[in-house]
Amino acid sequence: MKPLFAFMKKEILETARTGRLIILVLLFALFGIMNPAIAKLTPWMMEMFSASLAESGLTVANVQVDAMTSWGQFFKNIPIALIAFVLIFSDSFTKEYRSGTLLLALTKGLSRYKVVLAKTVLLFSLWTLGYGLCFSITYGYTVYFWDNGIARHLFSAAAMWWLFGVWVISLVVLFSSLLQNNTSVILCTGGIVLLAYVLRAIPKAKAYSPALLMNVNSLLCGVEEANVYREAVLAAVAFAAIFVVLSVLNMNKRQV
Amino acid sequence: MDMEILAIENLKKSFGGKEVLRGLDLTVPEHSIFGFIGRNGAGKTTTMKAILGLLKPDSGQVHVCGEKVCFGQTRTNRHIGYLPDVPEFYAYMTPLEYLRFCGEISGMGKADLATRSNELLKLVGLGQERRRIKGFSRGMKQRLGIAQALLNRPKLLICDEPTSALDPVGRKEILDILLAAKEQTTILFSTHILSDVERICTEAAFLNDGKIAMQGTIEELRSMRPSDGFIIETEQKEDAGNLIKAFNDLKTGEENTLTFHGDKERFFDIVRYVAENRIPIQRIERIEPTLESLFLEVTK
Repeated sequence: MKPLFAFMKKEILETARTGRLIILVLLFALFGIMNPAIAKLTPWMMEMFSASLAESGLTVANVQVDAMTSWGQFFKNIPIALIAFVLIFSDSFTKEYRSGTLLLALTKGLSRYKVVLAKTVLLFSLWTLGYGLCFSITYGYTVYFWDNGIARHLFSAAAMWWLFGVWVISLVVLFSSLLQNNTSVILCTGGIVLLAYVLRAIPKAKAYSPALLMNVNSLLCGVEEANVYREAVLAAVAFAAIFVVLSVLNMNKRQV
Repeated sequence: MDMEILAIENLKKSFGGKEVLRGLDLTVPEHSIFGFIGRNGAGKTTTMKAILGLLKPDSGQVHVCGEKVCFGQTRTNRHIGYLPDVPEFYAYMTPLEYLRFCGEISGMGKADLATRSNELLKLVGLGQERRRIKGFSRGMKQRLGIAQALLNRPKLLICDEPTSALDPVGRKEILDILLAAKEQTTILFSTHILSDVERICTEAAFLNDGKIAMQGTIEELRSMRPSDGFIIETEQKEDAGNLIKAFNDLKTGEENTLTFHGDKERFFDIVRYVAENRIPIQRIERIEPTLESLFLEVTK
């Protein structure tokens, strides 16, 4: 256990000292503030533009803003945050292959599965931290400004999206164990996510696509209940677990 | 007889159709500084990676301290310290932090780790260094590399071309550190710089064409090639000319020097001729066989 913790400690130190932790916190905090801010500013912006819109024949009626506008923004912005997260952390493995730093750790007798495990746990934790931060900030402002009660199943919806993030990160881990550079890791991860997205169009497979977890609006409005997502949740958890196990197997066979 | 720290049998490895190692056999006895000599691309690094279990050999076996090396799950690495040709460390750590990390992943005790780290950093001349590794020169990284390789008191220290990229001062420092480390461990180091081998090694092997072409102690290797002959330098230029006329197998070198390659009797004839004709001589010197001449012969 000691080598595993030592490697995790190194990962945390790396995230902090290379400035990634700061970037992560700033990014997710910014998104967290932006969501309610945009909702709050929408009526004011509409007013600003109403004059010019009136000239082109459009009249702006009173714009109604509520908690749903804020949460709508949240779920619209979180994909961008996830993409940024993947871009920032996609070279977690590959930069160690490239520089040869991992080689030295492995020749010290560090087991390869511990490398995969430590990095996976750290990535999941960082995603949870960033996502939690963004959600908390948006939640705080939304409760302050509006009546949050109209957002039905808010926590379930947020959990779905968090799980989708975990699934995507497990893809990053899988491809990192197979490939040599982070560009290919990003491309392959993006490819699989796209595939899951396309899968949603196939009626029979739709329920099992982890990409379904991105589509939480109906859950939020209370049109649907959380159990609609049951298969997608199970699929995402199963796939994420399988991906991590496969990563360990790949890593054991890898010639560094 | 000394125990064999490392034994390699019939090791083969090819990369995409190119056979790099074609049946390599090598044994390294305990307490030696073993020079592993070969040209660039001869397969030195490949051999070392196979010893470390980082590469999967196509066939053959490697034993370290009597234990078989398995690819991927390398328990044998606890006996080994490794210094790659261009060691790279986590640039955001200080040397002490890096050694602590190394000690923790190899399961060293806390107190032992602390004293050992300080001791080694002092040995490699980084004892006072508090900066992060980011700003280190190549020589400093190489020295830190030796410190991390020696950390868990390995029975075998493997260095991949430790001096190749360094300036003369840096090279001397590394060689001195390796000599100092000899007390604690067996050292296998690859190189193509033969003067380094002659300076510190007790044994050496020549790698050529994916096989060991020659192996033995430095004396044995030298004696494999008889003396390269003699240099005769006369005081006067015309005397050198006369000598060549009398002995047509002499060759002219610089100024008044002549070189001679041939059997002993012929050499005594020359000396007799010199004595009889009272030719003033500046010097007569035996040409020592060098590893370089041997190396060139082996890799021809």
